[in-house]
Amino acid sequence: MEIRFSGSGGQGLLLSARILAAALTEAGLTVAQSNAYEPVSRGGLSRSDLVIGEAEADYPLAQRLDVLLILDEAAATVSTGLLTPASLVLCDAERVTTPPQGPFRTLCLPFTETARTLGTPRVTNIVALGALTAQTSICPPEALMAVIVAQTPARFERLNREAFAAGLAMGETEPA
Amino acid sequence: MTAPSLAAAPAALTGRRNLEGNEACALGAIRAGCRFFAGYPITPSSEVAETMARELPKVGGTFIQMEDEIASMGAVIGASMGGVTAMTATSGPGFSLKQENLGYACGAEIPCVIVNVMRGGPSTGMPTRPAQGDILQARWGTHGDHAVIVLAPASVGEAYSETIRAVELSETLRVPVVVLLDEVIGHLTETVDLGAVAEAPGIARPFATGPREGFLPYAETADLVPPMPRPGDGYRSHCTGLTHGPDGFPTQNPAVAAAALTRTTDKLVLHRARIESWREQATEDADLLIVAIGISARAARQAVKDLRAEGLKVGLFRPVTLWPFPETPLREAVAAAGTRKVLVPEMNQGQLVLEVERVLAGRAEVTGLSRIDGETLTPDEIAGAAREALK
Repeated sequence: MEIRFSGSGGQGLLLSARILAAALTEAGLTVAQSNAYEPVSRGGLSRSDLVIGEAEADYPLAQRLDVLLILDEAAATVSTGLLTPASLVLCDAERVTTPPQGPFRTLCLPFTETARTLGTPRVTNIVALGALTAQTSICPPEALMAVIVAQTPARFERLNREAFAAGLAMGETEPA
Repeated sequence: MTAPSLAAAPAALTGRRNLEGNEACALGAIRAGCRFFAGYPITPSSEVAETMARELPKVGGTFIQMEDEIASMGAVIGASMGGVTAMTATSGPGFSLKQENLGYACGAEIPCVIVNVMRGGPSTGMPTRPAQGDILQARWGTHGDHAVIVLAPASVGEAYSETIRAVELSETLRVPVVVLLDEVIGHLTETVDLGAVAEAPGIARPFATGPREGFLPYAETADLVPPMPRPGDGYRSHCTGLTHGPDGFPTQNPAVAAAALTRTTDKLVLHRARIESWREQATEDADLLIVAIGISARAARQAVKDLRAEGLKVGLFRPVTLWPFPETPLREAVAAAGTRKVLVPEMNQGQLVLEVERVLAGRAEVTGLSRIDGETLTPDEIAGAAREALK
């Protein structure tokens, strides 16, 4: 299975991928995580990919995405070539104005808006991670939440819990 | 005088964990006994320095961020001459800056490990994008005839185990060893079980023992590796970048100069069996053999499986020790299988292919496959080129 987190540098895409990778590894799976970003201190196209399997991947980079998360317009079109009719595309409804068009399933969800309502757009990535978890059933939500708590500052725990729960609820209301 | 007091080696890293390639290099070095790191951060190698800064103090080691790459290499050489296992890490532009001092380490036979994580070049190039353009620089970056070992990991587990091997080869053969990663392997995080990878290495540099009187710091020993005098042990010695004879002092005596230079290169020939390392996948009956390193080899690994599924007889020969190139094993693999074609995919304009052509010298038809746009070669691209070559 291949999952890409993409958007603009600073949106917590690498952190989201690292959190999901840790949860999957604890569940016994073998993960390869790769990143791409631009030589700027913030902004610019940023992405992190997970290639998930039972053993070490022959080729550890994404080739055909099962899930593509897009959190910013900067990443709207760059991954379209890796999509198949079986792909699921999750877009931020506010920051992605031209979602990819094609024979795949695209959901535009209010990740940023929900995060802002909770207190800060900085937890947009955690909201999205919740929705992705609900849509893919890739790992038990409790296991993922435990990794979020372990890998993020303690002062953000309550906010992260609320963000993840909101994302889960958002993902569950859409047909999987 | 006793050896410098260093904390015991850290416990072996066991269990499954997610680890980044750069982090694995740092942890492997520490596991192998490295207790000194001097460096200057540069993308995409900075995580090696970052991990060393965090972990070295825990084992009584020293981390110094120097003012630049030249000084970092100088500090590493100084630490090693002081008897401490030392390492630095950098990327293309910094690797260029280190070449002068690296040459000194080659000439004076100072053990040291240099991690070079390749990015797009030349010059500042594409700092965050992968390339494999330093294959020849790693071998011939510094001037003059010299011996150097270059190891090319293709996974995070190998970044760990090959850095351990780099320390072992460097310390026991008195030769600089370059660990050559590409950006993808350096920044790749993989689930690894290091307990399955590494045994406690128990690496020990052969320091000089015996009489102080008449001691020759560059004596021609049977194994061609003169034991190093440890400062404080009472051996009078002289160390220089000038060509020197067994006594360590500069010489222009043609016979002495030729013998001294020849010994440093013969050393790697004598110990070749220990140095060489390569992996073969489906080579036994391969009509076409792919030769690749790093992320290109990972792409080839999948391409071989895909092509075999189509019924095409394709195999992979992957040098783990890149320099000295495992030339006899490659010739033997080609001869044993009756291989007709060889494909060399690499992320540069054709460097590894030159060595493969030299080694095979017409035994098979060699074709290169280049990519230099900051993107990696994919399994599909390599499979396509292999199908084309087999037509």
